Amino acid sequence: MERLSITLALASASLRSEFQYRANAIMSVIGGIIYQLTGFLVVWIIVNRFNTIGGWSLSEITFLYGMRLTSHGIFYMCFSQLFELDRVLITGEFDRLLVRPISPLLQLFTRKLRVNCFGDLIGGGALLAFASRGVNIDWSPMAVGYLLLAVVGGALVEGGVQIAMGSLSFRFLNTIALRTTINEVFNQYGNYPQRIFPPLLQYVLTFALPVAFVAYFPASTLLDRSDELLVSPWLAAAAALVGLALFLVALRIWDRASRGYQSSGN
Amino acid sequence: MTRNFPALVAVARMQMRIFYTYRANAVFAMLLTGVQIYLLTVIWKAAYDDRTEVDGITIGQLLVYLTLANLQLRFLRPEMDEDIQERIRQGQIGFDLSRPVGYPSQLMAGAVGDMIAGLPLLLVGFPVAYIAGELRGPASLEAGFGYAAALILAWVVAALLNLLIGLISFWTVEMNGFRMIYTLVGNFATGALIPLWFIPDELRTIIQLLPFQAIAFIPVSIYVGEPATGSIGNALLVQAMWVGLLILFIRWVWNQAFRHTVIQGG
Repeated sequence: MERLSITLALASASLRSEFQYRANAIMSVIGGIIYQLTGFLVVWIIVNRFNTIGGWSLSEITFLYGMRLTSHGIFYMCFSQLFELDRVLITGEFDRLLVRPISPLLQLFTRKLRVNCFGDLIGGGALLAFASRGVNIDWSPMAVGYLLLAVVGGALVEGGVQIAMGSLSFRFLNTIALRTTINEVFNQYGNYPQRIFPPLLQYVLTFALPVAFVAYFPASTLLDRSDELLVSPWLAAAAALVGLALFLVALRIWDRASRGYQSSGN
Repeated sequence: MTRNFPALVAVARMQMRIFYTYRANAVFAMLLTGVQIYLLTVIWKAAYDDRTEVDGITIGQLLVYLTLANLQLRFLRPEMDEDIQERIRQGQIGFDLSRPVGYPSQLMAGAVGDMIAGLPLLLVGFPVAYIAGELRGPASLEAGFGYAAALILAWVVAALLNLLIGLISFWTVEMNGFRMIYTLVGNFATGALIPLWFIPDELRTIIQLLPFQAIAFIPVSIYVGEPATGSIGNALLVQAMWVGLLILFIRWVWNQAFRHTVIQGG
């Protein structure tokens, strides 16, 4: 409980510090929205012109896109500082996190807030709202609950992968290139119905890099399209649980790896 | 101009050395371009489905277009704007302004050096693009020469636009949000993600009034044998017009900026 209140205090401090430069912060949020909208514009124009991609209608793809974007926004709101980890380790700032009485990982997460995550959240929410009427989903409380869990689960999948990969920095110091590539693959390949990819790539994006679990699997489940998948519909439906499991495993990996931390000194 | 030539060459060479310090990043960025090219070609193939031609554009032309446009965009990314911002923030701009060669000329010379230093990257870029997408020779000999000319003009337009954005730093140094918006609108409006042929009329009209199409759509559409305004000559003329307009505009902005300069620190 106390840990939660400390976390919230740290998070709100980083939010306030971002809004010290109000104009820049607002521009960053707008930039975030435009960033995602231009990404979506590409999809919209193609589907508008050609009617479907891989048999999915505009509403269905918008829904998938919105789910992934919302998950990514949550991920980025909570974990964006993982992308600063290399610098924190190299400059020795990590020493400072170690001497304080709460978990260094939690301090890392609340170190700074990148406000463009709000752009993702607003964009993702808007796409979901827009698509929700066009898709063939009966919006029972069950379905809404599943959607909410799935969106959080998607953020945990991305978070889990990035935490696990970030752990490598304790040994190799510079892993940011690898991690931004992985982030790019999630960002780009996660937004489309994966059946347009060759089967081998679909397996890679399921088991090697769990991109499919972020949004494609839960969206397929909600849209009643899980018979198209290469994996069991049950596995697809349980995407949020897979996310949670991945996240917990990643935390263990982080704990293990961070024991090997050697300060860079100062 | 000729009097200053040796000085400008020296600036260009200096920038080439800077580029080589970061060559690993550049190779890496090239791989990311491959990831993007592959995704784009898969999506468009799925959209075309089993049609071989849509709106007079064959699937072959389209795939070559997407591959080449995104490959060349990697080389048409001058990054003077960040440099200007950093020099102003740290007050080093005072040294730049006290040199006998005008600051915009120094920057353009530096950008030339940066571009030349990047050319060996084609050794990575071509195989990556070939594997990820589809590369073929130009539609005709005429198209090949037209493309070569258009490519040079494309670089000039890209560099001038970047310089123009960079000059905004003379008014405000906190401009990351703005720059992000500019980059995104620019990326989309170059036509690298969606060739202008497939963009809905209203949006296309707007994009055709912007200079960005000169960076990707105009040269690459010449290459695949579907030049933008009907003939290669006209297409080149549009580019040349933008070069002229941008130079005039930059002169004017630079005069304003120079008067406005604040040297920080000292």
